[in-house]
Parts: sequence; C-alpha cells; structure tokens
Amino acid sequence: MAPRRVVIVGGGTAGWMTAAALTRLLPGQCSVHLVESEAIGIVGVGEATLPHIRAFNERLGIDEAEFMAATRATFKLGIEFRDWGRIGDSYIHPFGTFGPGNAELNFHQYWLRLRQQGVAVPDLEQFSMGCMIARRNRFALPASDSRDLASTFGYAYQFDANLFAPYLRRLSESWGARRTEGRIVTVHRDGESGDIAAIELESGERIEGDLFVDCSGFVSLLLGKAMGEPFEDWSKWLPADRAVAMPCRTEGAITPYTSAIAMPAGWRWRIPLQNRTGNGYVYSSKFLSDEDAAAALVASVEGEPIAAPRQLRFLAGRRARSWVGNCIGVGLSSGFLEPLESTSIYLIQAAITNLLELFPEPEISPVDRNEFNRLIDLEYDRIRDFLILHYHATERSDTPFWDYVRTMEIPDSLAEKMELFRRRGRVVKYREGVFLDASWVAVYLGQRVIPEGHDLRADAPGTESLVAGMVKLHSQIAEIAGGMPEHRQYLARYCPMAA
Amino acid sequence: MAGAGPIRSVVVAGGGMVAWGCAAALRRKLPAIEVTVIPLPLAPGALADRIASTLPSILEFHSDIGLGDTDPILRAGCGFRAGTLFEGWIDGQDDYAHVHDRYGQQFGTTSFHNHWVRAARRGKVAPFDAHAPAAAMARAGRFILPGQQPAGSPLSSFGFGLALDTVSYTAMLRAYARHIGVRERPAAISSVQLRAEDGFIAGLALDDGSLVTADMFVDCTGPAALLRSELDQSFEDWGQWLPCDRVLMADAAAVEGQLLDRAIAHTAGWRWVATNPARTSHGLVYASAHLTDARAARTLRGSAGAEPGEPIMIRQGRRPQPWLRNCVAIGDAAITLEPLEWTNLHLAHNAIDRLVAMLPDRDCAAVELWDFNRQCAAETDRVRDFLVLHYVASRRTDPFWRDLRATAPPASLAHTFSLFSERGRLPFYEDETFTRDSWLAVLIGQGVLPRRIDPLIDTVPPEQSERTMAAMRESLAAIVPTLPSYTHFLRTLKGQAIR
Repeated sequence: MAPRRVVIVGGGTAGWMTAAALTRLLPGQCSVHLVESEAIGIVGVGEATLPHIRAFNERLGIDEAEFMAATRATFKLGIEFRDWGRIGDSYIHPFGTFGPGNAELNFHQYWLRLRQQGVAVPDLEQFSMGCMIARRNRFALPASDSRDLASTFGYAYQFDANLFAPYLRRLSESWGARRTEGRIVTVHRDGESGDIAAIELESGERIEGDLFVDCSGFVSLLLGKAMGEPFEDWSKWLPADRAVAMPCRTEGAITPYTSAIAMPAGWRWRIPLQNRTGNGYVYSSKFLSDEDAAAALVASVEGEPIAAPRQLRFLAGRRARSWVGNCIGVGLSSGFLEPLESTSIYLIQAAITNLLELFPEPEISPVDRNEFNRLIDLEYDRIRDFLILHYHATERSDTPFWDYVRTMEIPDSLAEKMELFRRRGRVVKYREGVFLDASWVAVYLGQRVIPEGHDLRADAPGTESLVAGMVKLHSQIAEIAGGMPEHRQYLARYCPMAA
Repeated sequence: MAGAGPIRSVVVAGGGMVAWGCAAALRRKLPAIEVTVIPLPLAPGALADRIASTLPSILEFHSDIGLGDTDPILRAGCGFRAGTLFEGWIDGQDDYAHVHDRYGQQFGTTSFHNHWVRAARRGKVAPFDAHAPAAAMARAGRFILPGQQPAGSPLSSFGFGLALDTVSYTAMLRAYARHIGVRERPAAISSVQLRAEDGFIAGLALDDGSLVTADMFVDCTGPAALLRSELDQSFEDWGQWLPCDRVLMADAAAVEGQLLDRAIAHTAGWRWVATNPARTSHGLVYASAHLTDARAARTLRGSAGAEPGEPIMIRQGRRPQPWLRNCVAIGDAAITLEPLEWTNLHLAHNAIDRLVAMLPDRDCAAVELWDFNRQCAAETDRVRDFLVLHYVASRRTDPFWRDLRATAPPASLAHTFSLFSERGRLPFYEDETFTRDSWLAVLIGQGVLPRRIDPLIDTVPPEQSERTMAAMRESLAAIVPTLPSYTHFLRTLKGQAIR
C-alpha cells in the first residue's frame, strides 16, 4: 500500500506532536509534510500538563531528563485552587489518591463518616501523598511498588511550550518529517468528494496530500474555514473568552504544582518553570475590559515582569466533528476548553492516539471517522462537566461574574453528579475518563460541596480502630513527604536547563 | 435534602441463591441493617437461581461477603469450570473455547490478535484459542489454581468460575446468611400493600395472617416479580434479537474431569452440557416458532439420556427500571436472558454489589435510583450484545439461524461488529462484563476476521510474530502435561480438607 501523504497545517504544540508521533510510529505508512508560518506564531504560553503526557513521551522514546532540561520543565503534582469556594479557601487537586487508594471503598467515605460522627479529623488533603509533597514544595519520583504509600501519587510537567514545539521539531525532522515555511492563501477542495486536495502557499507552491491535519489553532483554517464544520458554543456555561498573559521572575520556591487563583471576573494561572513563572488572567469580556484585566494581572503577579502583557481571544466549545472528509482537527482547531485543568495538551494527545489507531487507508472509511469523532466527543463532554463544576460550586457572590456562574443553569449530567455527591459523597463512575474519582472528590470538597451522609459501608469498622488507622496514615504520609528533597534541588540535580 | 434518615430494615423475597446471596451481602457489609428473608419456593423460570455454571465474578462475590475460595468446593460439593466449548455455531468448522484468560500475549506495540490475524492471512495458523493458556489446560483435562503457579507462568493469571451443585450451594448460603444474623420468615406472600400517599411498599401480608414491614424490599422472586410488578409492569422486550422462548432442562449422572461446558448449536437454538461433581446438567434452549415442545423434549432426552422437566417459557428482555421507589428487582425479576455464557447469576451479583454500595436514605430519592438503574441498564445491554453476537456471527442454514442473521442487531453491537470487521478494534463501553479477550474469543472463534489490522504492527516483521506465537504454544505444551488432572486435583483438595 502506498504511504499516505499527510499534510499538517500549523507548527505549534499540536502540529509538532502530531508530526513526531506519525513519523516515529507509522514510518512505513505515511509521509509527513508540515507547513508553518513563523509570522503566525504559537499560542503556547507556558504549559501545564496532565500525567498522560508521560506516556506520550515514553512511546516516542523521549528521555525525561533531557526533555525537561530542554523545555525548562518542572514537576507538577497537581493544581492548587485558591479563592474558589470562598475567598481565602485553598485546596489542591492532586494527581493521585486520597488514602492508600487500594481499598474497596474510597477513602473519603471513612473521612466523611468520622466528621459526621463529630470526630475532629484533619483536612482530606492531609491524607493525600501528592498534596502533602506539594504543600512542602518537595519532589521525588513515585515508588513503583503499588503497596507502597510513596506510589500513590502521579506527576506531570510544567514546561515552556515555545520550547517544546522546537524540541519535537528536531526529533520529527530526524525521523523524516518535511517542513515548509509559508503562509497558506488557498485551500483547494475536490469538487466531487469535498475532500481537501491541496493547499496553496503565498509563494505559489501547491502542496497535495491524502490526509490533512489541521493544527492551525483558533483560526481553524481547514476544519472550520475550508470545510465549514460548525462550532458548538459552550460559553453559556464557560463564559471566559479572553486571557492576558505575562511571565515574571520566580520569587521564592519553585512550586511543584500549578496554581489557579480565582479573580473577580475569572481566574489567574501561575505556572512555575525553571527559569521564570508564567501568569495569565482568564476572564469574560462581558464582565471585564481588556485594560482592566491587564492591569489586574500586572498588579497580582508575584515577581518582576519579564515581558509585556499579551492578549488572547477564544470561545469555549468544539466543532461538531473533529474529522470531516480527509481533514482532522487536532488541538485548538477542533475545540477549546480553558486551561483550568490543564487539558489542552491532553486533548491533542487524545486526538493523536486515536488517529494512530484509526489511521486510514487511501479510501477513508466512515467507520474510522465516526469512531474517532465518538471518542473525541466523549473526552470533551467529560472535561466540560468537570470544568463547569469549578465555577458553579461556589459560595461567592462578590462580583457579577461569580453571581452569574453560581446561579447559571448547568447541564443535567452535571446536576445529577453534584446531587449524588451532596447526598452521600458518591462519585459517578467514569472508568476511562481523564479525571477519576479522587479528582472529583478534591474539587467537590475543596469547593464546599459537602455531603450530608456517607456510604453505609464506611460504618463497618469501629470508631477507635478507624481513628487509629487515620492517625497512622497521617503520620506516615507526613514522614515520607518530609523526607523528600526540595523541588528546586531535585530539578537542579535531575534535569538542569542549560545556563 | 437527604431524606428521612438511613434505611434500617430490608426484606428480601425469594428462596434461591440470589435472595440468600443478597441477604448475606447486605448483612455483612451494612451490619446496622436488619435483614429478613421470606424464602419462597423457586420459580421454574428463575434461571439465575437454577443455572449451575458461573463466571469468575462469583469468587469476588464470595470474598466480598466473607466466604473463602474453597468453601463452595468443600462444603457444598461444587467444582471448577474453565470455560465453554462452542460447537456447531459455524457449519463445517471446529469447536472453539471461550475461557476467562488472555488469548496470547501482546508483543511489539500491538495487541496479540493483530499478529494472529496477520498470520492467518498469510496461511495456516494454529487456532486462536491455542494461545490461551487456560484453554490448553482445560482441553487436556488438567487443572491448577492460578495462585499455585509461579508468577511468571502463563497459567498464573487465568480466571475460572464454579460449577455449582445449586441445591447444596443454596443451602450453604442460607446457613451462612443465618449465621451472620439474617432472619428467616418462612411464609407465603398473600399480598403486597402499598402506601397510599407515595406508592411505596408498606409491607407484605403473609399467609400466616401477619404483616412484615421494612424500609426497603428486594424482589428476588424470579420472572413473576411478585413485589416489583405491583409498582409497574414496563418491560423492554428483546425477542427480535433473542427469539429463543423456551428452556428445557434435564439432570443426568455426573461425569468426572470436565472443566469445559459445551454449548452446541442446533436447528432452532442451542443446547448445553455442563458437569458439576453432583450431576450433569443438560439443557435445550429453543424458539417455539421453529421447534415444538414435543420434539424438543425428544431431542434432549436423546442427548441427555434423562427425562427432561416441563418446558420453561421465557421472554427475554429487562425492566427499564429495576429499582422503583423502595423496591428493587434482582435476578430474573429484573432481567431474563437465555443462559448462553452463564450471565444470569453474574448480573444478579453485580446488582447486589451496586445495591450495597448505593443504598440510599429511606426516601429512595429518584436521583440515587437513577444511577443504579443506569448502570444496570448499561451492563445488561452489553451482555445482551455479547449473546446476540453469537447468533449474528453464526453460519448455519436453518431458517431459525437465517432469520436471526437477517435481523438488524442492536446499535451498540452493530458498532462493535463493524469496527471489528473493519479494522480489528473493539470499542470501549462503560460497564462491560466481558473482557476484550472474551469478545475476541467469540468473534475470531466464529470466523469473523477484520479486513485491516492495527497499522502499528508494521514495526514487527511477520516471521518474527510467527516465531513468537509458536514459542507461546511450545511453552504451554511443556507446562500442561506437568499439571495434575482435574479429577486428581479435586480429590486432593477435598482430601486435604478432611485431614
């Protein structure tokens, strides 16, 4: 079978991740030609990721320490949410479990039971290995033995997306990807099938292909503009439509976690890299002007700014289909969800994994396309509900923005989940969803969705033995976390960036 | 919001292994609840209470309720089962084994079946099930518990079910349930009394003139659903896909050494032969439109050498809402399926697990029941798909079989089938009972081969995969003869227990 000619439009994180995966994993089956325009630039503003990225890198044979040094990466144990439920609140959503994580019943059920019994129990996060390491600004790689408490946390990275794409570009080109620099002026479609036949550059060059991967970002040059795939607007639930970003110097410790700090009309990210800290204010233009947003960001960053504020515009939602004809949207061209839970790269990765597994024959089968679209829809829908939860589960009424999200109508699927948690702390099961039970528990409890009851199975152990077990667990976690090196020291030893 | 406080008492109606298993689970996991069983005589159509072959999940159920792995063997005369041999489902083709084990081991980056399919395309290849360790073991009549094998052995991780002596087993469950505090109230139910204000069950009037009340009622009375059907009669009929509407059963003498049940296709359905240490169970499942009861009885008498009972009429399908108000139907009161693949008791056990995990407050709020019903529905629908698959993928010429293949399958099965036949993939569904290997065992066992396979396989040359496959078979051929025969194994196990 002749190798398929894959044309990738756009050279940001999505474009080069796709190019690297295809050249590395399907070498005999496709040729990869990436077209990018340096004039357009990339959106990446310092990226916080989810643990899934590690599997992607491993599959490509990427050495962790080398990759981290090249992208000035730091370790990430979770996300700290500040001021969300109420001003003054802080909780961490860890990549890991609460308690030892291997029991039939989720740990928080025992915790709830004791609280409801009137026993004074520390905050739930004190029983999470990941949270406790994070709070101490420490890090060490998790243990491999699943019976070991030191194995009950996961990690991801915080890295400079402006360096990740070039890093992957070097690899992709060494694996055979071709790159052309240029701006696309025309997309030629086949009159009969409607498929994309070729793209034409400003230079007059015409690039033909069998499969076109749209990594052009928000403009969605192929999927949105050329193919006309409609966009499903989710802004009534996720009203943030702007961001302003500005990096600054890092003051104090390098936190092994990303922070998401609630602001009057949205929230602010804080992503520490080895050399600087990325900051940005995600807000709704209905509630805040661009000038005021930029001023608020400048006023709130902790270190000395090292660039001027930069504005971004977007809209929450996704294209009705990600794969149409012979055009596949990967990344922002197919949809956008704000980076509240660091899902942007995860969604890119999900699209790539599915493309690899459903890589088409010369004649594209609708079976492949439909399955791809079904899987991508599932991912978006699950993340959407989880994000909306963050806004909706709040007691804040101090600004019109928070009043809106607190009182807005939410999707039925989320309303049911919240109600089940409120009753007895049940988390609706999602076996392969990106966010598992512990994630939902962290956000619910962290944002004051407090169950009135608990799972009756938690009543089985006697109070004394349960309390004794908790006390022991608490001290073991504190001891292990306290014994780990400082995050900054660990980085300096493991993956120092070039001076 | 949470209503009326926790449930304090549950009445379980039914006298089979579903009812006693349910009572034991409730009592064991939720010791604060008073559990009473009204032991009614077994209904003829209560298949979950009458079918002797079980899936591996029964062992987890036992361990959850506090029974040891060998208790049913030593105390209730039960045996082991490794899987089922399917005979005659494809005209002119050998039997195939569906065991609860891995079919081959992944190597390279693609799963095993891709290698097998590629080899099959290239020429002659050993049967798919020759790569499943438990199938090789069981076909040789040998047996060992996976835990008794060293960790690296191919036979260290297979699943197995039990071949129940249903009468002794039910007696054992009853004794155990009573031992842990379940009360028994022997009487017949003369009427179900509903509360006027909300239609909840207030109590059961018994034929001794007394009234038994409880906060919650579990209906394990078989297809008549004596309690649950007082609340509504809605039923989703699956007759179009599963047209068999009769089951005929006959008991014959036990045969030693059989680890594999047989499911043999015939002109208007299929028949089974399943041996446990106490007896051999024979059954005939058929569509009355294609076979008269008299001819069916003759057929079964001929093959079983024993006199069949009365034909049991069944109507396959499920209640859309097994749980309504304070009454939950479990077993045949909720779901009727022919016993192909022995899922009846398995589905009942999973419903019991869910009931224990989800027990709501006394008001039985709709939102909590919704999740229970949703999970039951999702699970049952996929089990239905798996059963229908056997018919859809059959190749026989009788009118019964031709009609079945001409019927459009349920959408979720059609999706599975097209995705597999197109490119060897299996879609992910929540709440799936059967593993990917089980689906593959039946699909490939019945000769469904994908048109294309995973593109990632190209990284391993075909000669290399064929060598690896041969090595897997050789290692099985070396280990299996060293294992004890099943008969010997069972005797030794029982002998050790006596000593």
